[in-house]
Amino acid sequence: MTLNKNDLRRHLSGQFNADLDAIIGRVQVMGQLVLDQLRDALRALESNDGELAVQVVARDSEVNQLELGLDEACRDMLVQRQPAAGDLRLIFAVLKVVMDFERMGDLAKRVAKATLESAGAPQKRFGGAIVALGTSVLVLSNKALAAFVAFDGVAAAAIKQEDRAIDERCKEITAQLQSFIADQPDATAGALQLIWAARSLERFGDHAKNVAEYIFYAVYGKEIRHMNDEERTQWVALA
Amino acid sequence: MVEKNTMDMSLRVAAKDPSTETAPLAELKAEAKGLDFWYGDNQALKNINMRIDEFRVTALIGPSGCGKSTYLRCFNRMHDLQDNTRYGGQILFQPDGVNILDRSVDPIEVRMRIGMVFQKPNPFPKSIFENVAYGLRVRGQKNRAEIADRVEQALREASIWDEVRERLDDMAFNLSGGQQQRLCIARALATEPELLLFDEPTSALDPNATANIEDLIHRLKEKVTILIVTHNMQQAARVSDYTAFMYLGELVEFGATRGVFTNPAKKQTEDYITGRYG
Amino acid sequence: MHDTQAIRQLVLRGRRRDAIFAIIGLICMMIGILTLAVLLAGLIQDGAHRLNWSFFENFPSRRAEKAGILSAMVGSSLVMLITAATAIPFGIGAGIYLEEYARRSWVTNLIEVNVTNLAGVPSIIYGLLALSLFVYALDFGQSILSAGLTLALMILPVIIVSTREAIRAIPVSIREAAYGVGATRWQLVRDHILPYSAGGILTGVIIGLARAIGETAPIITIGALTFIAFLPASPISGEFPFINFEWLESPFTVMPIQMFNWLSRPQAAFQENAAAAGLVLVVMTLVMNGAAIWLRIRFRKRIKW
Repeated sequence: MTLNKNDLRRHLSGQFNADLDAIIGRVQVMGQLVLDQLRDALRALESNDGELAVQVVARDSEVNQLELGLDEACRDMLVQRQPAAGDLRLIFAVLKVVMDFERMGDLAKRVAKATLESAGAPQKRFGGAIVALGTSVLVLSNKALAAFVAFDGVAAAAIKQEDRAIDERCKEITAQLQSFIADQPDATAGALQLIWAARSLERFGDHAKNVAEYIFYAVYGKEIRHMNDEERTQWVALA
Repeated sequence: MVEKNTMDMSLRVAAKDPSTETAPLAELKAEAKGLDFWYGDNQALKNINMRIDEFRVTALIGPSGCGKSTYLRCFNRMHDLQDNTRYGGQILFQPDGVNILDRSVDPIEVRMRIGMVFQKPNPFPKSIFENVAYGLRVRGQKNRAEIADRVEQALREASIWDEVRERLDDMAFNLSGGQQQRLCIARALATEPELLLFDEPTSALDPNATANIEDLIHRLKEKVTILIVTHNMQQAARVSDYTAFMYLGELVEFGATRGVFTNPAKKQTEDYITGRYG
Repeated sequence: MHDTQAIRQLVLRGRRRDAIFAIIGLICMMIGILTLAVLLAGLIQDGAHRLNWSFFENFPSRRAEKAGILSAMVGSSLVMLITAATAIPFGIGAGIYLEEYARRSWVTNLIEVNVTNLAGVPSIIYGLLALSLFVYALDFGQSILSAGLTLALMILPVIIVSTREAIRAIPVSIREAAYGVGATRWQLVRDHILPYSAGGILTGVIIGLARAIGETAPIITIGALTFIAFLPASPISGEFPFINFEWLESPFTVMPIQMFNWLSRPQAAFQENAAAAGLVLVVMTLVMNGAAIWLRIRFRKRIKW
């Protein structure tokens, strides 16, 4: 049985409805904060703004606090309501999404740190490409968050495709950075930081893709993670 | 699709899940076919079709008055005790395929094969020993040694032997509620039923006693098929292999318990198990 | 909104009403008890000095001081024997049938209403019925047998009703438990219904018999003699076949009729005899009722639902 967003307000217990609403609201807040973090990290990289980068690093603890709060809310939900069916799948998805958000927060912090430690030639040369990569990751992540909050499971398929393109793009940039290091061994430290940054962005996108897949599970009750493309398309088409 | 199923299976087996590990071996124990039931003019069960697998626990859930207890009581013809009730359709009982609802089948014969445990523990006001021995006496068993053996075996199977072995001649009423219920299970087990019906067996018990009974059900399914009515959905999720959701006398959904509780097929089921307005 | 004073006032008023009702109830109870006590005291005062062995050993006599209640006591006992021997099996059997076997239908409903009403029919009506049925139609004569059967008929509804009530007190869950392991109806009745309702049934039986032993009107109606100076043939004899039933056809008298007879004499000495016999009768019924209470308590202790 598919889970609709307005199903959340149909419980006999009003408190149950309110609690679920609150959880979804907090997921949105946390997701938005994580995306803001990435956006700021990219801005810092773009304009080589050390101050902003430091800010991003500092704000990661806020993300962690939100994670702890949401974990607790989900635990309460499990203890008090013993959710079943759609509710169970949703809480299960939220618990997993929160973990992914927390990792995404760490990765945004990672990008900000790379900004601080990669000033100079490598950044001048590759900064633009990495920001472009990050921007597409940001777009993808925005879609994933929107899909989760709107209970739109079908979006997962498109997001998976976009994520693949990002992975490819990341590989290219990494390869370029590697040959850059071969040419200019004295810039190795900065270039390595940028490889780190590119890899972090790629991982950020992977986590965002997971978020979209969890909502597919919550809505349709089917795990599409780790499926091959053919099956995945079949299942998404069924939905 | 086939590929996905096998993958699914291998994942489950890897997780050592007992319910699916032995799943392919399940044989049909009983099957309701077009089952109807009337209290006077009031139709309480409507066209129920459902299979009950041997050595599995099948749970019946649904809101009060949905007919789950009425359905359960068809299996040992308990409704025959009331005037003005009527069965329609069939319940075929295997391995011999007899329709236990048929007029020509004596309800006593049915109850000899199908035992029942009730909502409230209902031991006889007799000794612990006599309670368990009663089913054997009804069957004309006279051999004292044989009776004593079977009583002990039943009490052991019902996990209550260690608590009562020293006081088999005590009145059954002196036991606690949970012990009384296990005594009633032993009473049913002593007659070696093929199918055991549980009608909300823990609704009058505290959580510890409930846990005991649930553990017991887990063990019992090795040798007896179990059909259980429960209004506690978590209990159905814990003890059963299959779950049937009933509503207004109809069987709405029937399937593997895990599926019913994580991803039910019908909206009514989902609304009920998640506590939503119907 | 917290006013301790007001709450106290309220409680006090309630308590006062409690006390007033308790006093009224006590007065109501004392009126009943005291009347009985005065009655008993009167009987003792009038008749106690007549209670000696010879009073129990003598037949009635024209001379008050030589008269006794032997024939009345023997008559009462034998009549009770017949009453018990017939009313108990028929009453319990009927009660069990109505509760356990009979399907609910308008016929059983009708029977049910009638049985309950029969318990309220004036006893003299039973006497009339018995006169035409037992004494004439069946030609049992004005005998112990006729009297016993008459009283049996009279207390049958009491036994049926109390049997049914005792059976109804057994929870449905016990029936289901027995049927659930495959018991037949008869096995249920034999192993469960009868043993668990025995206390209630016995209580009903004793109360019925206690009522029968004091009953006068139907016995007079069927023509018991008031002056019997001989005993019926003994039911048990020293010779083969050791038991005989001649006594069944014997004329007889019973305690209440003996009393009635003495009461109708003008002499004060006979009034004393009546009081003494009344005392004996009261003690007999009290003992029977006491036995009923004792039995009820004993069975209650063993079985709790």
